[in-house]
Formats: sequence, C-alpha cells, structure tokens
Amino acid sequence: MAAGGSNRSRLLVIILIVTSLFLITLDLRGVSVTKSSRSATQSFLAPIQRGVSDVFSPVGSFFSDIKNFSKTKSQLVELKAANARLKTQLVFNEDIKGQLAKLNGVLNLAGRGGYKVVAARVIGRGSASTFSQTITIDAGSSDGIQKDMTVMSDVGIVGIVKSVSASSAIVLLMSDPTFRIGVRIAGTQSVGVLFGQGSSRYQLELLDTSGTIKDKDILVSLGSENDRPFVPGLPVGYVVGVDKTTGTLTQNATVKGYSNLNGLGVVSIIIESPKGDPKDSLIPKPTPTATIYVTSTAGPDTTTATSSPTPIPTASKSASKAKK
Amino acid sequence: MSWSRAGINALLLFFLFIFQESAVSKINLPITGFSLYLAILLGLMALEDRFGAVVLGFIGGIILDFSPSADSPFGKWALVLTLVGYVVAVNGESIGDFTKRPLTFVIFVCAGSIGTLFTFLAFGVLLGENNGALGHNLVMVFGNSFWTLLFAPLLLPITIKWRAKTLTSRERA
Repeated sequence: MAAGGSNRSRLLVIILIVTSLFLITLDLRGVSVTKSSRSATQSFLAPIQRGVSDVFSPVGSFFSDIKNFSKTKSQLVELKAANARLKTQLVFNEDIKGQLAKLNGVLNLAGRGGYKVVAARVIGRGSASTFSQTITIDAGSSDGIQKDMTVMSDVGIVGIVKSVSASSAIVLLMSDPTFRIGVRIAGTQSVGVLFGQGSSRYQLELLDTSGTIKDKDILVSLGSENDRPFVPGLPVGYVVGVDKTTGTLTQNATVKGYSNLNGLGVVSIIIESPKGDPKDSLIPKPTPTATIYVTSTAGPDTTTATSSPTPIPTASKSASKAKK
Repeated sequence: MSWSRAGINALLLFFLFIFQESAVSKINLPITGFSLYLAILLGLMALEDRFGAVVLGFIGGIILDFSPSADSPFGKWALVLTLVGYVVAVNGESIGDFTKRPLTFVIFVCAGSIGTLFTFLAFGVLLGENNGALGHNLVMVFGNSFWTLLFAPLLLPITIKWRAKTLTSRERA
C-alpha cells in the first residue's frame, strides 16, 4: 500500500466531505437524480431479493421461532388439556353439542370490510444500518400499487407504501419512528394520533381533551382524505397501558399493535376501499368460549349454555345439587 | 491505496451491499439486525492508511446511500463514513498492525460500528431528521455492535486475507 502523506489525506477528506455535503444539498433540494437512483437500486435488487427470499425464509424466522418456542409449547399444552376437557364434557349431552355449534356460528358472524386488495409476499426487510423500519414486497406499479396505499395483514394495519418500482414496493412499517396515524377508539369514538416507537408498542396521544382511554380499548384507523394513505376502520391495536401522568392536556397511552411486524410473510395492499366506512366491524373478534353449567336436580337435568368472549376456548362444568 | 485496489474493493462492497439488502436483513436476529456490510467495511478501513481509509469510507458510504430502504438524504452515509474512515485510520495508526492483534482488531471494529451509528444519528439530528426514541436508537446501536462483536472474529480473518490478496506488488514492498 502506498503510504499517503497526511496533507494529501487531509485534502482528500476535505474534498470528499464537500462532495458529500453537495450530494446532501442536492437531495434535500429535491433533485430527482438522487431519488431516481434509489428507485433504480430497488428495481435492481427486487429480483435478487425475491430469489434470496425463497432460500432465506426458513432461516429468517429461525430466531423468532426459537424465541417463541417455549411460549408456543406451553400454549399448545394448555390448549390440548382444554380440548381434552371439552371433549370429555361434551360427550355427556348431545343437546349441548348442538347448542355449542349454533352459538359458535352466531358469534362467528363478523362482518368483513370488502376492500379490493393485492396480496404480496415480503421479500426483504430494511437494512439494520438505515434506522428506518421497512419491508420490501414483491408487488409494484404493474400490479396497481401506488405510493401512499394502506398495507394490511390478516389482523390489521401494517404500514403504508413508501415507494414503488415496477415489480416491487417499499412499505414503511407502522413501527417506524416517523410513522403517524390518526386513530379512533372503537366504542367511545375518541380520536387520537398513534406514533411509531420502533417496536411493537406504540404511543397514543388522544386529541380529545374530554376523552378517556382505558386498558384494552381497541383502536381503528381514522382514515384519510380519499383514503390515502389510510383507509378507515382497519384495526390498529389495543391499549395496554394508560399514562397516568397528571398535568397533561390530553391523555396518552401505550398501545400494542395487532400485526406482528417481525413475522410478516404475506401482506395485502388496499388498492380500492369500499364506499362506506366499515366502522368497527373489522375489529378482531375473540374466539367464543363455551362455559357450560350443568345443574342436576331430582328431575331431568337442566342444562344452560352461555358464552363469554375470551381468546382460548375452554369449557367448565359445574355440577351442583339443588338445594334441598 | 492504488486506484485499481479501490475499484476491486468497491466491487466487493457492492456485492456485500446486495447480500446485506437481500439476505442478511431478512434474518430476524434478536435485539436488532446485524450490518455485515458495516463490519467488513470498518475492518477494511482499519487495515488501510489514512488515504485508503477515507477513499474506502466514501465509496462504502455512496454505495450505502443507494439503499432503497434508507430514509436519509443521499450523501449522508458518504459524509459519515468519510469522517469515520479518517478517524479509524488515525486511531488505527496509533494501535499498530491489527493483523498481529486479532482481539484488538475485533474490539476496534466493534467500537467503530458504535461510533459510526452514533455519528449517523448525530448528523440526522443536525439535518432535522426524526430519529425516533432515544431508547430505541440505543438498542439499535448496541444490538448491532453486539452482533458485530459476535461475528467479527469470523469475518475479520477473511477481511485480512482479502486485503492481502488484493495488494499490488508495489504495495507489498
């Protein structure tokens, strides 16, 4: 290696710093050359990312799978036990079985939004060194994707389309610190702004000074003008902690998002939304739980079936003798 | 650093960038992601003299600026890595030959990675960007450095070998 003199290297540093500052100025002034260069890189990388995605998809989720392994295992054991209990109890009465099926059918009648969507596979994630939380999807302008369209998963909102090339698009995830979305609390209709925090937790700032936030309040998107970038009524998340700090004008809360942004494999991009606001009809409904109370009396058994909305299906049978 | 070697290194960095963007960033590592690109670039810069480190920093930065997922203005990475390249080379000179001190080399690259990411954030603040919560940024920086510390012992010997192979006979003398 040729040993450069310190004067030579200092001069080079100055030249390169000036060049960098010149490029930054060009970019901040909106010169399209710099922007189109990134778009060109995206077009170039998309086919490679698509190819590599097939190879790396099992490896990609390896660590998160390990992380959730014990949790999934315990859930599985719990569910198996619950299922076994349920099965044992259900054989007692065929009538109860019929009632449960009917109940299940009724509670599963959840309205769906009727959005026109394009499904896309996640083929890349934002680089660790860019500090922005993005994903790359394998659908682009040729599939009807445009900038600022809403991206959703099977449970709720994921983010918005940040940039589009012919065959791929970059989606800004809702966890990105620059992400902001107007939300409405389902039920109370209080309006607020949700801020990305870089994780699966978000900060909710209520705009309504008289509004209150409670734990487990469900948030849906408020929607934007002409449904860009946000369509209304999409589930966003639920409140997990209310900020009790006094002296603030509005209430703040911590929100957990419905979508697991680390495990996204397939997403949908809303290219056309329904004419009306779906209101709260898209909020995920918990799986119905059948709690069976069996009261044995001297006469024929009286059986009542009631249901309560908790996520894990369990069944309990309480048999008590009638008071003498 | 000869211009031909600068070109070869630029090509290596370009392929590394593609690998980073299409494969490494797909792996959901705990804490945060790992920047293989930054680790190798810092390793290469640490082995160079001031002139070489600055040139590599600028080239590496320009390539990183092409990242489609980057939200920062084009040229910001070039500016950051040019400065980091200079600082790395100046400090590297005081340490001596890294090829004989592997542990120092690993720690140096890890510290360089922390410094680079903090400089990037600091420039973001100067340019009025929204960097998000401080806690999240700290997790990102130290998470990335943790992975760098973990993977550097595997990567840096390859980096040293790569450099030795690309040296011209004049540079070897």
